[in-house]
Amino acid sequence: MNFERLTEYKYRIPREGKMEVDAAFYASEKILEDLEAEDYASLRQLRNVATLPGIIEPALTMPDIHWGYGFPIGGVAAFDSQRGGVVSPGGIGFDINCGVRLLTSGIDREVLERHKSRLADELFRAVPSGVGKGRKDFRLDRGNLEETLVEGPAPLVERGYGDPEDLGRIESGGRLAGADPGAVSDRAYERGGSQLGTLGSGNHFLEVQYVDEVYDEEAARAFGLQEDFVTVLIHSGSRGLGHQVCQDYLERFLEAAPRYGIDLVDRQLAAVPIESPEGEAYLRAMSAAANFAFTNRQLITHFTREAFASAGFEHRLGVLYDLAHNNAKFEEHAGRRVLVHRKGATRAFGPGEEELPEEYRSVGQPVLVPGDMGRYSFVLAGTEGAMRETFGSSAHGAGRKMSRKKAKKAAKGRDVIRELKDRGILVRAAGRATVDEEMSEAYKDAADVIEATHGAGIGRRVARLRPMIVVKG
Amino acid sequence: MIEMLDHTADVGFELGASTLEELFGEARRALLMVVFEHPPEEGEEEAKIRLSAPDRETLLVRWLNELNYLIQDTGFVPARAEIGIRESSGAGYALQARLAGAPLLLEEYGWQGEIKSATFHGLKIVDSDDRLHARVILDV
Repeated sequence: MNFERLTEYKYRIPREGKMEVDAAFYASEKILEDLEAEDYASLRQLRNVATLPGIIEPALTMPDIHWGYGFPIGGVAAFDSQRGGVVSPGGIGFDINCGVRLLTSGIDREVLERHKSRLADELFRAVPSGVGKGRKDFRLDRGNLEETLVEGPAPLVERGYGDPEDLGRIESGGRLAGADPGAVSDRAYERGGSQLGTLGSGNHFLEVQYVDEVYDEEAARAFGLQEDFVTVLIHSGSRGLGHQVCQDYLERFLEAAPRYGIDLVDRQLAAVPIESPEGEAYLRAMSAAANFAFTNRQLITHFTREAFASAGFEHRLGVLYDLAHNNAKFEEHAGRRVLVHRKGATRAFGPGEEELPEEYRSVGQPVLVPGDMGRYSFVLAGTEGAMRETFGSSAHGAGRKMSRKKAKKAAKGRDVIRELKDRGILVRAAGRATVDEEMSEAYKDAADVIEATHGAGIGRRVARLRPMIVVKG
Repeated sequence: MIEMLDHTADVGFELGASTLEELFGEARRALLMVVFEHPPEEGEEEAKIRLSAPDRETLLVRWLNELNYLIQDTGFVPARAEIGIRESSGAGYALQARLAGAPLLLEEYGWQGEIKSATFHGLKIVDSDDRLHARVILDV
């Protein structure tokens, strides 16, 4: 693999072969060792991304780079429709608008500690997780579901499933424009319709945490974060609806790509011109699925608020921020309107950006980076460096270092839930298999990702959060 | 033949069989092995599937996604399958299958977690030594 070091944390892969542009990746020495250990499989995927038509230099990966489908996880690529730029569902992922939302509480950690077990039970009861349908007391008919796909969470908030202030704290106000419910298949409605307001399983979770350390007082104050105060992190996406949208359009694009003269080096990179009937239809469907996911996290927030109230807490949980880490959005960068694909990467707009809530504009957008359930997660702030170098993007998580098979083997004879309880972390899970697969040791250390992100200037450390309760599907 | 792959981020399997129908049968079994610790081997309920695709790989992805949909979204676990696959020159492949299934019992079968989709990553059905081989990665 041919690459050169540009700075302590930034590397360049020069354009060669079928690449249209250079690629760049961010890594510490430790992350670089991991990349070498996998024979640079992820970087080969990054090089493949750089072959797509109309791509704006550079093709990028964030420090949490790991192997994905077509695009590597941590991949960021911007395309100019005026130069024949393409849209690729693989650059967004099957879980469209998989993302995270962080809630703040004003509750002191010691107070929560006294009611932790009861809260854990209430959360597990209130927030559906694992396979299966959502709560029986919440159902939308097709008409209301289609409205959600167009408008995002706003109609449900109007009906009492949230506070009006919540909407201003969601990326893009929780609504991507241009969504078309007609571009979403009946199978997608069938799969996702009953899953609205559910966590899912795998690496999705709801976590009650406390602020363990503050690194940037000014940003923490702007975000409403204070040491020892309790937060809640929600990680979920567009569920079966989004998965089906991606499946539907991936196949359509595979069939269409040759007609546009697009030579795919990897089928999972299936792509068509942004300004094509297929491309425009996908973007309308993708926006619909993204709005569904924002609504999903809004409903989970509502159920979480119910659980806190049932557990005896009077504090109202506020939304710090909600952001996507699988998405494609039209944005303006360096005076040009481009379609930015983020696959396991987070938007990280810097200080002064108009799109940010006024209260965050001086410090930059909150960037939420979950770690594993045994260690910590992080809050960062978007930076001018990110705006300059990465199309306003940053890292999104830690990434696995152990396969599910190996994790289950390592968990044999152990009681992972008990081990976490002994460390003060209560787990409520729909099944033991997921907990074993998601054990801490299966994941890389999120602190390594944060070191590289902060060091590279594409995200500024604000606070570290530690888990108290974990709900998993 | 089914060999589960040890994949860091997701799950996958290698398949080997003498015929295309057998390969797709192995794919069904492999999917159940991913999703359940103790998958059912018999079932009283019935379902039929008809699929078509321009090539074998797309047919395999559609087959796995259809089975995944039956399991996760309709609660039907395809415990056995009779599969017929026909190639039409210029029109691709058509699959018909009759499935015998069991209701989804998460605890009894040892549910392992949701699958988002079968992927095209590295997927190629290869003819070698009178056998067909395929390697499938699933997004979890």
